Order: sequence, then structure tokens, then C-alpha cells
Amino acid sequence: MTRFLLKRLGLALITLFMLSVIVFGISTILPGNVGRAVLGPFATQESVDTLNEQLGTNRLVFTQYVDWASGLLHGDLGTSLTKQVPAWDLLSPALQNSFKLALVAFLICVPLSILGGIVAGLRYGRLTDRSITITGISFAAMPEFVTGIVLILIFGIWLGWLPVTAQAEEGASVLTQVKYLLLPALTLTLVLFGYIARITRAGMIEALDSDYARTAYLKGLPSSVVVRKHVLRNALLPTIAVVAVQIGYLVGGLVAVELLFNYQGIGLLVLEAARQKDLPLLTAGVLVIGIVYLVVTLVADILYAVLNPRIRLGGTA
Amino acid sequence: MDRGTRRAVEEFRRNEAGPLENQVIDELIGGELDRDEFLRRATMFGIGAGTLGLLLKYVGEADIAFAAPQTAVQAGGTIRVGIPVFGASLEPYLLNEGGSLAFAGIPGEYLTFTSPQGKVLPALAASWKPNADATVWTFQLRKGVRFHNGKEMTSADVVACLKHYVSKGSNAGLGPSFDADGVSARGKYTVVVRLKSPTGVFPYLLSQTTYQAIIQPAAIVAKPGTWVASGMIGTGAFKLKNYVDKRSAELVRHTAYWGGRPALDGVRITYFQSSAALVLALRAGQVDLVMQLSPQEAQPFRNNSKYTVYGLPTAAHRQVCLRTDVAPFRDARVRRAVALVIDRPQQVERVMLGAAQVGNDNPFWRGFDSTDRSTKQRRQNLELARALLSAAGAENLKFNLTTWNFLDHTDHAASIQAYARQAGIEVGLEVMDVGKYYDSEPAGADYFTTTPWLNRQATLTEYGARGVPNIYITRCYMSTGDWNASHYKNSEFDSLARTYLGAAEIAAQRKATKRMAGLLLRDTPVITDYFIRYTTASSSKVKNYVPEGISHIRLAKVGLG
Repeated sequence: MTRFLLKRLGLALITLFMLSVIVFGISTILPGNVGRAVLGPFATQESVDTLNEQLGTNRLVFTQYVDWASGLLHGDLGTSLTKQVPAWDLLSPALQNSFKLALVAFLICVPLSILGGIVAGLRYGRLTDRSITITGISFAAMPEFVTGIVLILIFGIWLGWLPVTAQAEEGASVLTQVKYLLLPALTLTLVLFGYIARITRAGMIEALDSDYARTAYLKGLPSSVVVRKHVLRNALLPTIAVVAVQIGYLVGGLVAVELLFNYQGIGLLVLEAARQKDLPLLTAGVLVIGIVYLVVTLVADILYAVLNPRIRLGGTA
Repeated sequence: MDRGTRRAVEEFRRNEAGPLENQVIDELIGGELDRDEFLRRATMFGIGAGTLGLLLKYVGEADIAFAAPQTAVQAGGTIRVGIPVFGASLEPYLLNEGGSLAFAGIPGEYLTFTSPQGKVLPALAASWKPNADATVWTFQLRKGVRFHNGKEMTSADVVACLKHYVSKGSNAGLGPSFDADGVSARGKYTVVVRLKSPTGVFPYLLSQTTYQAIIQPAAIVAKPGTWVASGMIGTGAFKLKNYVDKRSAELVRHTAYWGGRPALDGVRITYFQSSAALVLALRAGQVDLVMQLSPQEAQPFRNNSKYTVYGLPTAAHRQVCLRTDVAPFRDARVRRAVALVIDRPQQVERVMLGAAQVGNDNPFWRGFDSTDRSTKQRRQNLELARALLSAAGAENLKFNLTTWNFLDHTDHAASIQAYARQAGIEVGLEVMDVGKYYDSEPAGADYFTTTPWLNRQATLTEYGARGVPNIYITRCYMSTGDWNASHYKNSEFDSLARTYLGAAEIAAQRKATKRMAGLLLRDTPVITDYFIRYTTASSSKVKNYVPEGISHIRLAKVGLG
């Protein structure tokens, strides 16, 4: 296990390094410059040049990258060029917001989707199965902002039950914050339900059709015991990997949902940094999202191995 | 007219009024100015309300009533305001977009105030007076005005601010009017500004339409870029309590406000990343008031008793700039042909749902006193457009129209494309992100010679409302203008523009604008097909709100019913 972890850590570091290089590299072809973004379209070129000089953004991208990377090695994620505050000061609250939304969405979406997948698998080929599958695909095929607007119109405007913006006031209680996060979380649930449920359903069908399940039935075990003790454990393995990838998306990939529900998550922050060509903030943001993806994937791999004794991490098998 | 009034007027003209004030009075008596025009011009020269009433009585008009009738409002409550999020700085000297200036204009205030009717009214300056040729303006500051930190506002603060706003790096655009050496204090409450050239509309330039010119304490101005960090200390009706960047802000009542105790306890501002979220929040009752809406966005709030929709005719307009120095628009006939394809009244209905006034390819909005209204309106004439193209050898005219994704721009550009097709003109559309449209191309290149909005063959750009057309003329149409996207160079126009800028008499201004309008119709460097009506909406419980064309949100008299 230690060897596996060390290997994964090494790969993660290489991935993150490549990620930062790619972000810095791609940013050179992005339109815009920081001085102009800060001072606006009507500022004189002289003022813009002066500010760029002060910020050091007129230097070679390579030089800027080396500066930023050497800071990173000392635990410094860099300073936002447009805000002139440490990038972490901006990333931290945005990341917390993203985690909150991801958690609420996760808690609603994952159990519901797995349950849907299990029921569909158990009722394979019947009306229930088809209803769950078609509903899931339909919602998954819909862009999230369309689903979001429909939910806003129903629950926010017609019924008036839920707030249409996701950001609760400063100092709001946990319950209030959850109430504000319900609509975006439901939107994400509808988007992800079909995908996770289908993977679970496929796992269920395969496991139910397996030799060990058949043997268990032939042994005379009750259906509930077969499903609980033999089928589920194997059927859910692919679901774990899928859910892990979706957690990364829930944390860092929600720009459309954050825009629609006016929520200050890390996705919007990174988008804004890209628009303003705020390289340190952009790279630090992408790096943080990358770390979340890597950690979640690692946890999923470990969980996968624990649940599946056939996998021997780092072993020669 | 009674003898007392006559005597009082004659005494004022003899003892107090300078040549400029007497000229305005002559224009009123001679019938060159109607009542509203007189009020706008007279307030510009600092004639007080009492004297204005006297002068109107002198010519047989009813007395003045500046303030809009306001309903009594319940004291207390916090208004929730939705503002589009902004990317640029909140520092006053750097302000450059609606969201940031709307927010900064709540704690911040200006020396003068331009009313929605175009009158320049006293604000932090209680009165002002020009010298004989309008090159030196003396401002008397209002006494007893307190900043949010408790300090009294004095001439030292105002002088420091004005010097700062003409310094290098400021976006205020006041540099052409005066320089730092021209500003001085005379005593604790008097500020004198010596201008570079006569400017009859100078007090207007220090009002909220030059939205950067917020008066702040001298100690803060001395360290540029520290206004936000030091709590946005101004003199406004509400002072900052809490600000979370790009997310929200809380302001509370400034109890020592010079304009009387504000009715509201406070203001809560939420920044919105998208206009869809802003509109939905107003519909769901999560905000009470929004900064600005497009006519399409305002549509669901009309004819609904839960909401109030506001529409304010303004000089804000769109400019379709055609590069006069490169093919295919080097020939004025081609430019005129493009202007002639547009059915303007239909365009206003189609693109702006009626929330605009037809334009005549010049920046002289009908609401400006200086606008001569006798210029013939350009109308759609497809036959003439085809004939002009044929004469210019441009029967198969093709060009690209470049703009960015803002309010009505995309619909506007598509509408022009459709009209042009009727005359056989093929228009390609290039719609950019705001960052790309307003940046140099490629990044880091010389700005003014590469940025798309000033260099593409045809561009569609928005211009905010102003009380006088000076900035449009000097920056967009004169040969030396830094926003001259059509690259228009006409010495006759430049000469007329200089005449207009130096003229104090309304007749001379109108004569100049008439001739400039004629030249612009002939040359058509810019198509201005409409002036927009500033549109916004609030919940119907918001009382006494009056919008402003420049996006400021004035809440001193507002209450929640």
C-alpha cells in the first residue's frame, strides 16, 4: 500500500507540474492584459504600461512562471495581479463555497442515483427500469442551466419555496445555508442522476447475472440477502470510480451553475482570473482544482481496492 | 408683472449677474430659450433658486419646482440592491463601468448634481459663479458637510481631489479642461478652478456624469488606491459597513448626512455574475431594486403590480463607426448608403421594444439645449442606397461589423445585417467577449492602433449618457479624438467643434451643432440610429426612486413602503 501511495503521489506531482505549465503556456494566447483589465478600456496606454511594469506582467511568461513556481516551492501560491492579495485569500473562501455546494449535491445525488440504479437493475426490462433510465437520460441530456432555470421557475418563483440565489447572507446558520444551496444541488442531482444510476444499473445487472449470485440463489438464500451481501458489493465497484470523478466536477467544474445561481465558487473565480489574465490566481486555482481531482481519485482507488480483494495495490499479483 | 419683481430683477442684473448670467436672461426674454432650457442653462451658471423664480415671474412663467413630487416614506428597513459584478477597480479615479460606479456612487458624492432633466444643481458645492468669459469658476462649498469618518469637508479636500483627478493615470478625462496648478482654495469653503479655455458647461463636468470625481478626504487622496481599503469614506447618505469582493456589500445610514436623515436604515448590495440571475432574483423577491435592465429583461415586470419599471430618456446611444480611411468606407457615398438602409422607427421597436429615441447619425440628442432641432431626419431609402452604391462602384458591398456581447448589441448588429441585405449589402457579424473587444490585439501591442473597437472596419460601441455632448464631440468625432473609431478627419468639423466648445451663447452653440450635424449627415462617419431609454425595475414597495442615465443609484430619499 505504501508503495502504491508513493507511486501515486509521484504521478500526482508530475501531473500538477504539467498542469501549471500548460495553464501558463495557454495563457499566452489568451486575449487581454492585466493592466488593461484593471484600468479599463478608456485608460491611457501609458497608465496601462506603467501598471503592467509594476506588476511585472510585461516580462516573459517563462520568467513569470519561474517566479511563481519558486514561490510555490516555499508554500506561496502567488499574489493575484488584479487584486493584489495572496491568491490563497481569494481561493480559500471560493473553495469552501464549492465544497459546501458539492457536499449538499453529493448527499442528495449519490444515494438517490445509486438507489435508482439498484431499483432499475432489480426491475430490469420492466416499466420501472425504463422509467428510471429514460428520465435519467433526459435530464442528463439537458444543459444544466436549462434544468436550473426550470427549477428556479417552479420552486423559486411560482411556489416561492426556495431562494433563487445560492449565496446565503454572512453568518447564516447551517440550515439556512443548506436551504440556499438546495436549488443548485437539485439541478446537479438531475444532471448526474442518469449517469450514476445507469452505471449502478449496469453493475447490478452484471452482478445479478453472475455465477456467484446464481449460486447464492440456488443455496436458497433470500433475495434481500443475496442482493445485500453478494450483489451490491460487486455491483457498486464501477460506481465508486464514476462518483469520484463527479466529485471533482462538483468542486471545480460548475461555472454554469455558479453563474445561474450567483454563487461564488472556485469555478467562477478561475474563469474570472482567465478573463483578466491574472496568471498567478488562474494557475493556483487550476492547481487547487487539480489537487481535489487527484485526491478524490486516490481515495476512490483505495476504496475500490478495499472493497475488491482481487486488487492488490502495488503488489505483483 | 409687479414693480417689485421688475426692480428686483434689474437689481440682480446690475449688481450680481455677470455677462454670462445676463446673456442667459436675455435669451429667456428674447424667446431663444423655453422655460426648461432656461432652467438648465441658468443653473449651470449658478443662479440660485430664488432668483430663478423671480426671473420666470418676470417673463410671465410659473415659479420653479425642481424636486419631483415625493411620497412620504416609512422610515427604516434595508433595501436589497442587485448590481452586475465588475472586474475593474473601485478606486474613484479608475472607475470605468456601470457596476463599479453605481456602487462607489452610494458612499461617494460630487460637487454638483445633474438632474434627470439635465439641470446642474448644487450638491457638495452650494453655489458657483463664472468670470466674464467662463475661464475661471468659483465654487462655494456647502458648510457643515461631514465625511463618514466625522471630519468636515473643506476646500482642502476638494482641491486635493480635483488635482488628483487631472493627474496622470486618472480616467476622469478632466485633463483637457484644467490642470493641477489651476485649482486653488480661497479660504475654508471656496475653491477656484482656472480653466485652459472658456467652458460654459464646466459645473456639469464636476457632477456625477464625470463619475470618477468623487470628493474624498485629502488624506486618502494623498495615497491613490487606498479609498476602498480605508472604507470608501465619502459624504453620501450611506456609509460602508462591510464589503466582500465580488459578492456583497452592506452600507448603513450616515446619520450626519447633509441632505437630511435618510429614510432607510441601510443598503445591502449583492453582485450578480449574470443578468439572468439578476432578473430571476428580482422576480423571486430576493432583491428590491436592480441597477439596469435591457428592454427585453424588463418585459416580465411591466403591467405587474408587484413591480415598478422605470424608463428615462437619455443621451446614451450606440455608434456604428465606419472606418473612413480604409476601403470600402473611404467613399462617403458607401457610408451614406449603409446609413440609409436602416428603418429607424422600426429598428427602435424591433431591437429596443420602443425604449429608445430615433437618432440622426450625430451625437446631438434632442434633450441637449445646444441641439438644433431643424436638421432633417434621415429615413430609410433603399433606392437611394442602391444608387449611391452603384455610383461608388460598390454594388457588391461586403463588410464585417464587430461588436461585443452587451445588452442590445447583438440584436442591434443582426438587425442592421438584415436591413443591409435588402439593399444587397452583405454584413458579417463578429461578436467578441468584452475583454477582447476592448483590449489591444494581440495582447501587449500598442493599444490605440490595434484594439478592435477603434480599428475594425465597422464597429458597434455603446456610449453612456452625458448632460452635454462635449465628450462625444471631442473624443469621438474630432481629428484628435482618442475614441475616434471611424478615423474621421475633417478640419471644418474640428473648427466648428472648437467654436461650439468656446461658445457661451446658446444661439452660437446651436448654430455650430446644426452645421456639425449637417457635416455628419454628409460624411456619415458614424451611424447613430437610436438614443436609449435607461431602463430598470424594482419591487413596488420601493418608493421615491428616481433612476439616472449614468447608472448611479441614489437612495437618500428612497424608502420601503
